[in-house]
Amino acid sequence: MKMTFFERIQKLDRRYIYIVVALAIIIPLMVPYNSDNVTTAPSENLYQMIDSFAGREDRAVLLSITHDASTMPELYPMEVAILRHCFERNVKVFTLTWYASSAPIIDYAINNVKEEFPDIKSGVDYCNFGYKPIPLPLVIGMGDNIANTMNTDAEGRKLENLPIMKGITNYNEMNLVVEFSGSVAGMTWITYARPKFGLNVAVGVTAVMAADEYPYLQSGQMIGMLSGLKGAAEYEKLVDVFAGYREAGIDYRVKTDANGKKILAGRPFGREILKDESTKELINITTQTTAKFTPADFNAFVAKYPEQAGLLRQLGKEDKGQIKVDVAAITPEQRKAMGEVTYLDLKKMSRDIPYKFKVARIGMNAQSVAHIMIILFIIIGNVGYFVQKARQAKVS
Amino acid sequence: MSNLVGAFFTLCIFSFLYKDNPFYQMSEQLLVGISLGYGLVFTYTRTFIPYVYQPIVLKHQWVLIIPAVLGMLYLFRFSRKLGWLSRYPIAFSMMSVGASVPLGIHATILVQMRQAMVPIETFNLFLIFFGTIAVLLYFFFSKAHTGIYGKFVDVGKWYMMIGFGASFGLTVMARISLLIGRIQFLVNDVLGLIK
Repeated sequence: MKMTFFERIQKLDRRYIYIVVALAIIIPLMVPYNSDNVTTAPSENLYQMIDSFAGREDRAVLLSITHDASTMPELYPMEVAILRHCFERNVKVFTLTWYASSAPIIDYAINNVKEEFPDIKSGVDYCNFGYKPIPLPLVIGMGDNIANTMNTDAEGRKLENLPIMKGITNYNEMNLVVEFSGSVAGMTWITYARPKFGLNVAVGVTAVMAADEYPYLQSGQMIGMLSGLKGAAEYEKLVDVFAGYREAGIDYRVKTDANGKKILAGRPFGREILKDESTKELINITTQTTAKFTPADFNAFVAKYPEQAGLLRQLGKEDKGQIKVDVAAITPEQRKAMGEVTYLDLKKMSRDIPYKFKVARIGMNAQSVAHIMIILFIIIGNVGYFVQKARQAKVS
Repeated sequence: MSNLVGAFFTLCIFSFLYKDNPFYQMSEQLLVGISLGYGLVFTYTRTFIPYVYQPIVLKHQWVLIIPAVLGMLYLFRFSRKLGWLSRYPIAFSMMSVGASVPLGIHATILVQMRQAMVPIETFNLFLIFFGTIAVLLYFFFSKAHTGIYGKFVDVGKWYMMIGFGASFGLTVMARISLLIGRIQFLVNDVLGLIK
């Protein structure tokens, strides 16, 4: 009897399916397109809590990283995004691990993000406690005194001598822990630190673990959660829209205002900003080479660099009511003439996102295509099964 | 160079998708061997040296000899005659189980129960309340699942099916993410093709 299409599909060699899966992932990765990534409440809540510590001496975030290389594709982009958020918004950040294999991952993540933040210093803006065995006594001990419990950082320096410890004593100040793992490691904090010390707990978990963690989110024992690559992509977007945002007219080289108050880069979280059409310009994952300004913004930008005003005005081209500067077309001589600070500021205004800060969103493009393909496979497989069953019933 | 080595072994492992072959087997054996060697050296340098050798030998914190000796009793597992000694460190570590029981009950049962007892003010809370009752009754086997009661507990079964579906979807997402990570490594880090 001649086989139908569905019967052929049922008997298809699995290696053809592997090829289709590989293509469904490789093509969207090599041909990136701008797609929106709708943020969810668990990610937004975590973002807002970290952002509420911005610029404060008496608040810090602890990132507890408990995974090895096998879960890096999902968890590493989360860690990079949160570290970037902290560095952008001047949030004190501590890192530690209970798992020896995670120690190099922490160093890798910090060094990777730090490349974009030359002013960030170990012991001042961040501190890595490194690998510490046996969590229980340390989790409880930090509720009393962090410096006495952890004693030294990963570089062997006494914690009590580090500038970052100024204003930080225990969980009253280091008020949020984010646990990254492909397991239920976050339960250690929920069980021992939250009831006793009121520590706020959030987790970044692999998608497999997300279903197990939702009950703790619903009960309020966790303040936020990043689940899998999707959670990482959401956080990357939030950092681009808020923490990584730069106003054309603000000179971020000035660190304090006339009243001595810290000037923080970025802007506070706002749900209405996420819905705004202009936000789309900030989250493009394709390469951006043109800095676009309104005439007023361009004047404000030029006013920051009076010595380079002539060159900047020469580079600006008017187009449909906007002033555009093609950053890719700037020659090495022009770059030298305007200086590296001005060039980097101009480049920042093109809203181009370095690859390391959009890895999860590029991955989510491939994820979307792969999901559609898997849904199609499931539908075709099911239809095929019932068609085959009906044919067999007819024959018998 | 390290990227090329990583790419080579990634492709060796992927070659299993076609069929079992010597390249795959070589990579698998290497992974096991390297992991073991790495773990051994790491434990020695990051645990034994800073937490046993340095405090006792260099800083003369003699009291730490007690937990160190207690820990070493684990090694008697390899002796048939003295294997009973390894039970002492196990008994000692049971202390942490004792500490976790009350706090564990609080975190995983009491708080969850409290959150299931909030006023049903929204439709979501109603769904949670209804689902909790239906699922709990599904596992109550002293009454036959027949009649109206049977239909009600069936709802509990549907709730669980939806839960399993969500778990399956998330698992697929996680596995695809791992594949994406590897392919991003090959396409971007090795070939530099992602712009």
